[in-house]
Amino acid sequence: MKTIIKLFSASAFVLALNSCGGVPEEKTADAGEEKAFAVAEVLEMVAKENDVTRTLYTKAIVGGGKKQGMKFDEDWRKDDVEAGPLPALFLRGIATSIRKSPVPLGLYLGSDFPVNAANKFEGKQAELFTQIKKDQKPQFFYDEGQKLHTAMFADLASAGACVSCHNKHPQTSKSDWVLGDVMGATTWQYPKDSLTYKETVAVLNSYSQGTVDIYMEYLDEIKAFEESEKPEIGDKWPAEGNYLPTPEVFLDSVRKLSSYETMKHLVAAK
Amino acid sequence: MFKVSPLRKRQFTGGIIGLVLGVSIFYVLTLDATEDYVSIGPMNTGHEELNCYACHADAKGNLMQQLQSNISYAVGAREESADFGTQDVTLNNCYECHDRPNDRHPTHRFEEPRFSDAVKNIDATTCITCHSEHHGERVSVEYINYCMNCHQELVVENDPLDISHEDLIAKEEWFTCIQCHDFHGNHRYEVPEKMKDTIPMSTIQAYLDGGEDPFGYDKKYYALSQEEWLKTLED
Repeated sequence: MKTIIKLFSASAFVLALNSCGGVPEEKTADAGEEKAFAVAEVLEMVAKENDVTRTLYTKAIVGGGKKQGMKFDEDWRKDDVEAGPLPALFLRGIATSIRKSPVPLGLYLGSDFPVNAANKFEGKQAELFTQIKKDQKPQFFYDEGQKLHTAMFADLASAGACVSCHNKHPQTSKSDWVLGDVMGATTWQYPKDSLTYKETVAVLNSYSQGTVDIYMEYLDEIKAFEESEKPEIGDKWPAEGNYLPTPEVFLDSVRKLSSYETMKHLVAAK
Repeated sequence: MFKVSPLRKRQFTGGIIGLVLGVSIFYVLTLDATEDYVSIGPMNTGHEELNCYACHADAKGNLMQQLQSNISYAVGAREESADFGTQDVTLNNCYECHDRPNDRHPTHRFEEPRFSDAVKNIDATTCITCHSEHHGERVSVEYINYCMNCHQELVVENDPLDISHEDLIAKEEWFTCIQCHDFHGNHRYEVPEKMKDTIPMSTIQAYLDGGEDPFGYDKKYYALSQEEWLKTLED
């Protein structure tokens, strides 16, 4: 009798436990979707977009803007500094925005001769950067510590402003940069070895959104300028006068310049 | 009729009393008014007015579901375990109120591979390395010489300080950094040019322990209050 009661009680407990069902397991939205790209391909795509964005910002906004009297400074976020972000800080702003998005993409910029000594490559990155400087080809490795797929891409002196600013900077550790030099490298990290089409588009979108976010932060800083002449924000560029493009105009130009390369990859996968 | 022994009766009565007591204690301890008794220690400076739920959100599902999921996980019938009671506190909980675009040292920057050695000494990828909660203080890191992990090669051109930064680094005076520079860089603070004018170490220690802010209260960004944070969730 006792055994029956015990068995009955145990069965009742298990039944009660199972009757409500467990907590639903979180499956990613793309579970079951076919993987379309290797992580290296996706990082190459987004790095290409970054090259275009960085060059456009450095040449057209920083280079063009300086000719109109606009200022760009490391301390651009300080209230008493009326300036915009330098290209390296523009990239850092994009990286910060990406990290706030649900996309697990890491983006960093470093060099062997950085303006800020704390940005100097070390370890594996320093080793691979030596190779990048020789052949300008991307380098890939798996970061065992963080379990992240990692890619490094050459960051070239693509505009006169890169060379002149770095050569003249009071903190510079190298003052003979010339156009076309490998000044540093971007490092990108992603946790998966392959991505679905949807995940790939999410990576590209998070980068574009990062560009818009940091550019808008710059325009917001301009609104608070008290001493400097504020540029007119619209569809014109600094090359035409004291103007800055809206975030939409800026992003449209990036897309025009990079869309062919990106679409080529995306369509090929489809 | 069954004959029930007095021992069984006592066991039954004891069981009922235990159950009622257990349920009552569970109920009372989940009330907002008793949060102070549940907390494992006093809240850190600035967090005194927060409710538990501000960081410890309820886990998904009810207790029975969470129990079942974790038993299933333990016997291999499920891929992932489930949070029990409350969800784990993550960086996102901190950033929902403390996200600042001007942060000089945002946690994500230290995930770059070149910081792997530095991170072994001080894990700057997470807030709780320096701001462990429930200690009734502001900064919980044991030693404040953390700058030494990344800034060994610092050289300041036209150094305005009466003792050069290079000299301070050569003498390994890493405790002096914070006498001028707050780690996150959010204070609007004029950095002195003479060592004698820097914030005294005793004042810094009192600040880290939860006292007055010697860098002043004029900041570019302010952390959200619990009410402001709740409003962001409605948006």
